[in-house]
Amino acid sequence: MTTSHPDQIGCYTVHGKTQFYSVKRTELDRAGVQMARTLRSFAFKPGAYVLTVSVVQEVVQFAPFEFALQLLGLYGTNADLSPFDAGRVESLARQFDPVAICGVGNEVLEGLKMMGHDAAAVFKGRTVWARPDAYDAVRAMPGVAARRVVLIGPALALECAKGGLHIDGREWEVVVDNEELVLSSRQHRIDPVSGLKTGFSGRLTDMPCACGSPDPHISLDGAI
Amino acid sequence: MASNAIIYPDVLDPIESASREYLDRHQEASLAVMCEYAVANAPLIRKVWADAGVKPGDIKSVADFREKAPFLTKDDIRAYRDAHNDPTGGMSVDSPGQTVSVGTTSGTTGDPTPVPNWRRTPAEETYARDHWHIGVRPGDHVCHMLFTFRGGHRRRSLSELGIAEICFSISPFEIPRIVDASKRFRPTSMSIFPNPLINAFEQYFEKTGEDPVDVFKSYKGAIFGGEPLGDRQKALTRSWGLELFETTSLGDVAGACECREHNGFHAYEDIAFIEAVDPITAEPVADGDIGELVVTSLVDRLSPLVRYRTGDLVSIDRSPCGCGRTHARFKLLGRATDQILVKGRSILPREIMGLVEKHDETRANLFQIIRADREMDELKLRIGYDVTRLKDSEDALKLRLYERISVAIEVPLVLELVDEQELLKLGPPHKIPRVTKT
Repeated sequence: MTTSHPDQIGCYTVHGKTQFYSVKRTELDRAGVQMARTLRSFAFKPGAYVLTVSVVQEVVQFAPFEFALQLLGLYGTNADLSPFDAGRVESLARQFDPVAICGVGNEVLEGLKMMGHDAAAVFKGRTVWARPDAYDAVRAMPGVAARRVVLIGPALALECAKGGLHIDGREWEVVVDNEELVLSSRQHRIDPVSGLKTGFSGRLTDMPCACGSPDPHISLDGAI
Repeated sequence: MASNAIIYPDVLDPIESASREYLDRHQEASLAVMCEYAVANAPLIRKVWADAGVKPGDIKSVADFREKAPFLTKDDIRAYRDAHNDPTGGMSVDSPGQTVSVGTTSGTTGDPTPVPNWRRTPAEETYARDHWHIGVRPGDHVCHMLFTFRGGHRRRSLSELGIAEICFSISPFEIPRIVDASKRFRPTSMSIFPNPLINAFEQYFEKTGEDPVDVFKSYKGAIFGGEPLGDRQKALTRSWGLELFETTSLGDVAGACECREHNGFHAYEDIAFIEAVDPITAEPVADGDIGELVVTSLVDRLSPLVRYRTGDLVSIDRSPCGCGRTHARFKLLGRATDQILVKGRSILPREIMGLVEKHDETRANLFQIIRADREMDELKLRIGYDVTRLKDSEDALKLRLYERISVAIEVPLVLELVDEQELLKLGPPHKIPRVTKT
């Protein structure tokens, strides 16, 4: 017997409007299995730490990422996406020496500055997946392997080691309508998505990615 | 025709109402197992026990444990971390396949302390029991407000029970969404519900005219945490039809929450062995007397804290509780390190809290005790106030506060008033350091 009761209710934001979004744990786990393919391109050694910067209501997007870390034998640790918790980003970077930090947004950069920390020094030598509002600043930091992470509706697009911004092709169908990326779910979900206008302009790339993942990768032009 | 409705048991786990005799025997067995495991697998525990000249085989009874097992402090963990470049502080995080993530403590008093997480942490287990006690059942929704540093997005202890978590940050900006979710999903519980969020809800209801009784009408309770619950907040939330269940940390080993009797925090004794000792001499303190809480995890193989001195001043009660559960309860007086002696009188932040919140401008209860030394000649307080609620002048407010606090505490008093926004910057958002050196 199936049940229509969700396990988690997170949210996504499109065109400035935030919507509740329900999921089952099985949906998050299967997305994590897919995401591991993108993560593998970095060849992080098992036992290494990866710091995720997010907020609790981003569970739909980041739970798969964290499950992928577990599958690859990596240790995940967390900080909140908030200027007030930027001190934790510095502290965990210093204590755990994570190989990567995922989800860095402008709040983190502002918070580190406010607390007197040099963000470039905190991130140096690591892979840093930055959100769109922080990506340019992180990319300009010497010695930082800047990558993009983008919340596209309920999906998480994650850039691989070879520069492809991947989205889970088994889970989501992405089409371009009037230059806007439009998302539909392909699998059984408790909260199906059909023709969701994501608020991002961009295009799908036809060429296979050098990282070896068959997941589609997208080229983003920006927010609409 | 027979009804298909499932009648769920009163307690999530039958151990919650086990007899005292069974609990005692269970603890004795578990202590021996955990001591053996911790010494074998956690480098810090191994070192502390070796330094004390004690072996796990020496522990054959609870009496042996109380007499021989060495204590452990947060400073020991930090010192090991720094000396060995080990962020886990000498715990057994490297147990293959066991650690699924590494959470951290709030870090109010220094670098956050790592807390390795298994698939279901002891705290998740205890809070699942507490939600169940409040009346949450499969098919229900719970508003889940937390920080990701407590364990990220891997938590599933409620969803395993068929209970949906609606996820929010602990932030005043989330209030409209929490109100929306409360009316749409009609949750039966929420956690963690801290002071700043109660204050933010109060302002929201004042501003919007929304009826709090309607918003919260489906709730059977809310778990309140972060700091002690003041009388004002208790009365305010009661007027909203919301019953609050206070919670606190069981010394980084698990959570401890009030029951419907509201007569102390339940420490689940299958999860942890608890004791109270004199904070200066470390001699045992009888149940009912005030002492420092010492906890030993009976289940956590990743953070096997053994005889961990929490710094919390408590009194323990092991008599059966009116709620039907048999596990020990404790009353929390405050942190031993927060205690200040002014002309010989002991003062803890909890005492000040009930006084500051009584004024409209300082109803958010934001204050700090300035404690240059443990013993002082005068009580120095920095109090934050809401500049938009100032009725008269700052000096007049200061005088009102001075009169109320000095009459109640009866020691020489020095007050400093600041904009409460300045204190809020000292976060994390759910609490500020209540005691500061400067």
